[in-house]
Amino acid sequence: MRGTRFGMAALAASLLCGQANADTIKFGGILPLTGPGALIGTAEMHGIQFAVDQANAKGGVHGNKIEVQFEDNQAKPDQSVLSFNKLTDLEHVSVIFTGYSGPTLAMAPLATRKKVLLVNAGAQADALAKASPYLINTLPTIGDEIAVLSKWLVGEGKKQGAIMFENDAAGMSGRDDYLRSFPDAGGKVLAQEATQFGQTDFRPALLKLADAKPDVMLVAITAGLLQMAQEYHQLGLKFTVAGTTFFADPATIADPSSAGFVHTQLRIDAPPELAAQFKAKYGVDMEFFAKQYYSAAQIVLTTLDKVLSEKQPVTGENMHDTLLKIGKFQGLIPLEFKTNTASVPIDINVMRDGKDVAIKHIQ
Amino acid sequence: MLALQLLATGVVTGCALGVVAISFALVYATTKIFHVAHAGIYTLAGYLAWSLVLWGAPLIVAVVVSIAICTAFGALIQSQLYARLERRRATHLVVLIASLGALAVIQNVIAGVYTPNILQFPLAWSGEVLPLGSVRLTYVQLLTIAVSLAAYVGTMWFAHHTILGKRIRAVASNPMLADITRLQPQSVYIYVIAIASALVCLPGILVPMDLGLQPYNGVTPLLTATIAMIAGGVGSITGAFVLSVAIAVLQNLSLLVMPGEWSIGVTFFIFVIFMLFRPTGLFAAAR
Repeated sequence: MRGTRFGMAALAASLLCGQANADTIKFGGILPLTGPGALIGTAEMHGIQFAVDQANAKGGVHGNKIEVQFEDNQAKPDQSVLSFNKLTDLEHVSVIFTGYSGPTLAMAPLATRKKVLLVNAGAQADALAKASPYLINTLPTIGDEIAVLSKWLVGEGKKQGAIMFENDAAGMSGRDDYLRSFPDAGGKVLAQEATQFGQTDFRPALLKLADAKPDVMLVAITAGLLQMAQEYHQLGLKFTVAGTTFFADPATIADPSSAGFVHTQLRIDAPPELAAQFKAKYGVDMEFFAKQYYSAAQIVLTTLDKVLSEKQPVTGENMHDTLLKIGKFQGLIPLEFKTNTASVPIDINVMRDGKDVAIKHIQ
Repeated sequence: MLALQLLATGVVTGCALGVVAISFALVYATTKIFHVAHAGIYTLAGYLAWSLVLWGAPLIVAVVVSIAICTAFGALIQSQLYARLERRRATHLVVLIASLGALAVIQNVIAGVYTPNILQFPLAWSGEVLPLGSVRLTYVQLLTIAVSLAAYVGTMWFAHHTILGKRIRAVASNPMLADITRLQPQSVYIYVIAIASALVCLPGILVPMDLGLQPYNGVTPLLTATIAMIAGGVGSITGAFVLSVAIAVLQNLSLLVMPGEWSIGVTFFIFVIFMLFRPTGLFAAAR
């Protein structure tokens, strides 16, 4: 009898709690918060949380508080699938922020099946463009950046290339793009060498690529860039090093060994006062990935606002359809979704004197 | 030029691995414990030294203090974890799982305290290069070779010319007889893990000075060192060290004829060859 009373009291308490949380809309975030990808994953998490906190401080969206439950996937596909199932089956979230190509590609079929909106603002493997109708990419694929980079390099007389790529979905996608775009632009690929995600000893790969005597080393790695730059410098190598937006690593830019590195850079700027607020809150600068995910969170919140205005239930399907119906967003940069993947302007940057300087703007 | 530079890089990596291998071999040959948590001590040493250097301690002080802490920590793992399990008659598998658990705890605590980001030693000279003909090695790489060779020679001398070294070899050879003759194997096990922990601090500090610190970076060197230990002959300090250098050099030189992603495959290929044709290891007789 006492057990029954206790059970009824617990049920009543849980119902009351449920009512108290009825005005909270929960989203998910599956990002690498530990492991070699944690630096980027944490910046992405901060970007999302910053946008959500700002929205909540203004009273939420239509009076609903927004909460994001973050799961750590260590940039691993298998862990991502577990986290996806947890967030969708137990927490019933309709929108999940994601990053890194391998994990996102692993979750994409599940997103299609369960009609959950996946929002990627950091990964760029080409396969992401068509991985799932429920996957929205707020940045172009790496193929678009590499096409721009290859054309610029060949125009600068860097026609003999060697490729260093990470042996995972993003790295191999980058390698395939270099193999396609660099010859298309008039260059020739002399050699290619794989590295592992998270490795810091790049000397053997650098030496082998240097032996091919390239004008430029085309890089598709997402971790350990600073170590690669330092080892390149220690080995006394002279060829140009070129990459994509993943080169925008503050520590690498600040290190003298990266002088002369060139890369494409997706253009995204934060107003000074916003960047200052971010720094005051998290103690770090609002770098590229924080801006990207802040912008992505704004897109989701704008979409949610529209869904609630139209008195639709907040499902992945409604969020997806409404986002594509809105099409154009004015966040930190103007974004347009003609397909699942947004188009944005790209710059060519060069690292010099500890700074990353734009030397060419490309629409 | 390429082959020479790859050879030099392989020797550097091999020497560091060699010290991991001889320290692991000391533990395994004596206690028969597959002390996976050794990878955690390897990682911990680097982080402790990094913290001390960051707080302004001279490098030599940072190294000595890190070694002292890791030595005590190793002894603690033996006395408070492995010895307790043995008293409860735990199987080798249970001890291995306990060791894996200890490794996971160490790695996660390090990641929690220091973040999982790649950290670099704030030492301006560590990346400076000394050109030796067509070969370019940093001061840290040269220091790694010198310190590792000294550690190997020192361990050999200790094992053959000190009373404790002879006592360890006696326990490793026949623990039951050692117990009967009052050599106190349990206290020897504590000494062995403490000494091995002190030894593994050397590559644990030197390698991150060259390549940076990561909380989960200790496992791969330990795995390669384990292969070297088995291929070299369990219990042979020379075998563990020589095979570590040989494996690292072959891994590097294999780049001349095959892509880099196959280099790990080369390691396991060597291991399979040894297991097929000399399962007791190359230096099985030499102790």
